[in-house]
Amino acid sequence: MGVRQRSRRLTAMLTVAGLTFGTAACGSGSDSAGSSDPNTLEVWTRSNPDPAATYERVFAAFTEKTGIKIDYQPVINFDQQLQSRASTKDLPDVMINDTALMGSYQGQGLLKPIDPDSIAGHDQITDKTWSSTVGLDGRHYGIPYSRQAQALMIRKDWLTKLGLKAPTTWQEMLGVAKAFATRDPDGNGKDDTYGMVVPGSAQNGYVAWWGSSFLWSGGAQIIEPDGDGGYRPTMDSAAAVRTVTWMKDNLFCGDNAVIQPSAITAITGTATNFQDGNAGMYLTGPYNIATYDATPGKDKYEVVPFPAGAAGSTVLADGENIYFGARTGKTKQEQALAAFLISPEGQKIAMTGENQPVVRIPVNSTLDAAQVRDDPRWSVVQKAYEDASQQFPNAPDFAPIKQDTADALNAIFTYCGSDVRAGLKELNDTLAGDLKDQDLYS
Amino acid sequence: MTATTVAPERRGGLAKRVLARKTVLARKAFLPWLFLAPGLLLALVFKFVPMGKGVWLSFFDVRPFLGDQWIGLDNYTRVLSDHRFQDAVGHTLVLGIGQSLGAIVVGFVLALLLEGQTRSLKIMRTAVFLPVVTATAVVGELWRLMYYPTSDGLVNSALGFLGLGPTPFLDNPDTALWATMAMGIWMVAPYNMVIILAGLAGVDRTLYEAAAMDGVSLWQRLRYVTLPAIRPAIGIVLTLAAIRGLRVFTEVYVLTGGGPAGSTEVWMTRAYTLGFTRNDIGGASAASVVLLAVTLLLTVTVNYFRKRGDVR
Repeated sequence: MGVRQRSRRLTAMLTVAGLTFGTAACGSGSDSAGSSDPNTLEVWTRSNPDPAATYERVFAAFTEKTGIKIDYQPVINFDQQLQSRASTKDLPDVMINDTALMGSYQGQGLLKPIDPDSIAGHDQITDKTWSSTVGLDGRHYGIPYSRQAQALMIRKDWLTKLGLKAPTTWQEMLGVAKAFATRDPDGNGKDDTYGMVVPGSAQNGYVAWWGSSFLWSGGAQIIEPDGDGGYRPTMDSAAAVRTVTWMKDNLFCGDNAVIQPSAITAITGTATNFQDGNAGMYLTGPYNIATYDATPGKDKYEVVPFPAGAAGSTVLADGENIYFGARTGKTKQEQALAAFLISPEGQKIAMTGENQPVVRIPVNSTLDAAQVRDDPRWSVVQKAYEDASQQFPNAPDFAPIKQDTADALNAIFTYCGSDVRAGLKELNDTLAGDLKDQDLYS
Repeated sequence: MTATTVAPERRGGLAKRVLARKTVLARKAFLPWLFLAPGLLLALVFKFVPMGKGVWLSFFDVRPFLGDQWIGLDNYTRVLSDHRFQDAVGHTLVLGIGQSLGAIVVGFVLALLLEGQTRSLKIMRTAVFLPVVTATAVVGELWRLMYYPTSDGLVNSALGFLGLGPTPFLDNPDTALWATMAMGIWMVAPYNMVIILAGLAGVDRTLYEAAAMDGVSLWQRLRYVTLPAIRPAIGIVLTLAAIRGLRVFTEVYVLTGGGPAGSTEVWMTRAYTLGFTRNDIGGASAASVVLLAVTLLLTVTVNYFRKRGDVR
């Protein structure tokens, strides 16, 4: 009995050991195949299939020019995948992703610092744009690739039908929204239209992303530098209370149908009312222009600057940076790719074509968005970006700050009877905690 | 094989026999493991190794490229003392218990209604079972459309016929959790139905006849004949509910994303937010490990009561 048991245990252990070695061998084998070839760069972007097609064309042109091959991976759930790659300590060589994530990535040590002088053509990017990729330690951690600012998409045909003008202030915008909701702008005799599309869910911080243009234009900030290398939360300011109260009272808790139903749980993927043709306004990024030209149709809508709030019109600016993964050992090739991506040629390919453009406003100052595309609507966006826009502060890790802001705003907008001042005071304390976690608040 | 046919020469024969028996034994011991190997391999790579890694990471401040820092139980104290996480645990308990009990009751009623051999019943059973084989994400998307808060939504247009106004099911923090629960019941109940149906098939028909002759009411028949007879099936259903009840994620993520105002935030969506939007992998691991422990405890408890019931 004893012998039998022992031998059985032994064989079991041998089997398991064999299996473990087998898998280990498999794992390392497949991993090293791509990353060991010095002339192949693994590049990740956060893209759906449509913009990915644009990237494919850009990278094909690069390979043709330099002979460096690109192993291109469009990744939709970018940050989840990146976390799992980080845990194996084998990052993609080059990543193109949101500007606001730079602090987060740098804080985790995922990025290589970048000397702008080492990138050919770096002087064609303005100093102002370069300054947006400076990390907390004063070094650059990204190369600007594409920029954009939010703009208001509005149904031109609805405005004409109701005899209205595109709004220039929040009060006018509210009036237009109410008219769109109640005066049957699509003329089908049914009460089925809404004023404005709002992605109001806290999921992935959407409501903070969408609402930030309101905050900036209302004169509020989420956090601001304390002049001492740190930051302080400012969501309890009078301007923030006034702005959030306006949004709550007029958009979320105001008249019916000023915003679309389900706005409070909508993310951009589910807030398709503008595209479906039953909502008349949408404050969003210009990448949607290509989509909306198909439906509702190019002749049906126009792109106008965001109406002015109490402190003018300042919209959220964001965009994408090129990041180099830490410890990849292919710096020369990575620099060559970056130089191509910011060159007039590389930017132009990424701005044109049938698919969604991946460069919205070029970072290369020799190019003009409206001219390259032969589409004057883009000058509205470029003007907003250059004159009246503000980015999320991206030197600190902004991810938890954005998420906490989104959670608080979503709660305030959900409970119409809630006390805005108290809600924002609580948010401010939470933000102070987030900053303290990063040693940025004293 | 050879051992039994060997010539009966005393000493050498014995030695040979022992040797032969040993190789047969070794082969016998080896073969099952060989057949188990593919399954074991998959379980090892995709289940046990990640699980072990998760437990390990829960004791660290996880920063893959800067070096993980051992922080002991800090992740646990931080996560467990976070009021948002406590709220999420509360929602998970309400959702898990409500959904499990609801699914058992609905599954039982469905099983009673659809028990039998006729062809039409078979078709009905297949139709009713469909939600189980549909991907959760698809079901979530479907119900999100059905719950659409205007009279265009399916549920609201049905309510309209009854003269009830449109209800913002998912957009009202007071109803969102219940709406999610209703979808969960719809999704899980048919699975329970199948298990209970199997139990019902084993009920001795003569008991029903005897009960009918004694003139019992429908309720008495259910209470004193059917339920005791299908107790093993109910036991299985309860065990499954204990395992599955608390780990709800996909339906909530697709339906509400935890909103509005965090009213449907559950254990796993909170862990997901911690891990992937706040990059706090250590905290997310700690939250998951606690869930694992609670689920394990719950399953063992349910099994204990089941076994004790069986003995009695």
